Amino acid sequence: MQNIALIRLQMNHLVTQARQDIHSLSVMNDSSDNSQTLQRLWDTVSTMHFLSEMLANQAMMAGYYFSTVPAPALPAQTGTAAQPVVPPVTPLPNQTLPPPGERTLTLQELETYDGKNGRPAYVAVGGVVYDVTNNRAWAAATHFGLVAGKDYTAEFASCHAGQESILATLPIVGRLAE
Amino acid sequence: MKKVVLPPESLTNEAIAARLTNAADENLKKGLINKRNLVYLELNGCSGNIISLLNGQNPSFEYTLNSLVDLRYSNSLMAAEGERASEKLMAVLDEDFILAVEGAVALKNNGLYNVIGSLDGQPLTGLQAATILGERASHILAVGACATHGGVSAAKPNPSESVSLQQVLLDREMIKLPGCPVNPDWFLGTLAHLLLYGEPETDNLGRPLMFYSTLIHDRCPRRPFFDRGIFAEKLGDKTCLFKLGCRGPVTRTDCPTRQWNGRVNWPIGDDTPCIGCSQFGFPDAMAPFISFDTTRVVKDE
Repeated sequence: MQNIALIRLQMNHLVTQARQDIHSLSVMNDSSDNSQTLQRLWDTVSTMHFLSEMLANQAMMAGYYFSTVPAPALPAQTGTAAQPVVPPVTPLPNQTLPPPGERTLTLQELETYDGKNGRPAYVAVGGVVYDVTNNRAWAAATHFGLVAGKDYTAEFASCHAGQESILATLPIVGRLAE
Repeated sequence: MKKVVLPPESLTNEAIAARLTNAADENLKKGLINKRNLVYLELNGCSGNIISLLNGQNPSFEYTLNSLVDLRYSNSLMAAEGERASEKLMAVLDEDFILAVEGAVALKNNGLYNVIGSLDGQPLTGLQAATILGERASHILAVGACATHGGVSAAKPNPSESVSLQQVLLDREMIKLPGCPVNPDWFLGTLAHLLLYGEPETDNLGRPLMFYSTLIHDRCPRRPFFDRGIFAEKLGDKTCLFKLGCRGPVTRTDCPTRQWNGRVNWPIGDDTPCIGCSQFGFPDAMAPFISFDTTRVVKDE
C-alpha cells in the first residue's frame, strides 16, 4: 500500500503544479511565456493520466486478488507485489567512449543489432557505433527508410550536415572496426 | 494589443466557429473582405483530399462555398462536364483566382498519364493545367501528400513519373499542406487566413505554422509511457506505440489536439500507430507502417 501513498503524493504535487500554471496563465498577457506554461501544463496532465491508469491497474489487480483468495488476504503485500512503481526515467545518454579496445564491432557484428526480436538497434556514423534502440526518431528500428545495423556515415552527411549535435545526444556503444 | 478571449465566454468549437463566421459575414457585408475565385484542381491522385474536405465541420464545406469563395472549377463537384467544364476552367485565367491543387503532376509521355479533360478536341493533361493555371494564380495551395511532395503517386516504382507541384512550378511560391488526406481544418483554415489576413506564417518547407508547428510526439497523450519505456507489443495496447513503428516522433501536425472525423478521434487514440502521412517522403520514407518483430523474441531463430 506504500506505493499507492506515493502515487497519491505525486498526484497531489501535480495538481498543485497544474493549479499554479492555470493561475499564471490567467494573469500573464505575454504570449511568449504562455507556450512554455501550456507545454508544462500538458505534460502535467499527461503524467496525471499515466498515474491514474497505474492506480486503476493496481485497484483491479487488488480486486482480483481479494476475489480469488478470499480468506487471509494480506493487503499490505498486494500493492507492492503486484505492481512496482516505475520511477520517472530521465534518459541520460552514456556519452563516454569506452576505452580503446574495449568494444569494437565489425560491420558483420553491427548487422546483428538490427532492433529485431528484442535485440538493440545500433547504427554507425564516422566510425562510432551509437545505440538508437529507444531514440524517438527510430521507431521500430527504422528511420526514413533506413534500417538499423548499418554504417550510415554518408547518409548522415547528406541529410544532417552541420547537425553534429544530434550525435551528441546518442549513447555510444563502441567503435566500428576499420 | 489583441483582445484575449477569457471564460465565461463559451470556448466550445461550435461557439468559436460561430464567432469567427459571424465576424467574417459582417466583414463581407461591409465590403471589407471580398469573395475570391477558387480553382480546385484534382490531378494524379485519389481525390481523397476533396472527400476529406466534405467532412469539414465548423466551418463546413457548404459555408466555404457560400461565404468564403466562388468555386469556379472542381473536377469532382462541378455540374458541367466535358469541354464545357474545360471552358469554365479557361475562363478563370483572365481573372484573379486562388489555385488549390491536389494530386501529383504526372510527367510520363508529356503528361498523358493523367488527363483531366479535353479542350478543343485535344486531351487536357494535368501537366498542362498545372503549368497554365500555376503561372497566373495569385496564390497557390498544394493540398495533400501528392501535391506537396509526390506522395503515394510518386511512390516507388512511380510508373507515371509523378512529381510534386513545386517541381513543375519551380519559381512559384506556394503554401504546402501535406497530409494523406489533409485535415479539412488545415485546408479551410489556411484558405480563410489567406482571405482575411493574407498568407499565413510558414516554416522553411512552406507549411503553415498554425497547423504544422508541433511534433505529434510532444502533444501525445501517451508520451509518459514513452518517457518511462513502456511500449505496446500489439495493436490495441494502451501504451506507447513506438516499438510498433509509430511515426509521431518525426511528424509535425496538430492531430493529438485537433483530431479527425469531426474531432472525434485520431489513430493513436484508437490504438494504432501514426504512419506519418503528413511527413515529406510519405509513404516510402515512413515504411514499414507496422512492425511486430521488434518486441517479440523468437527462440531458435
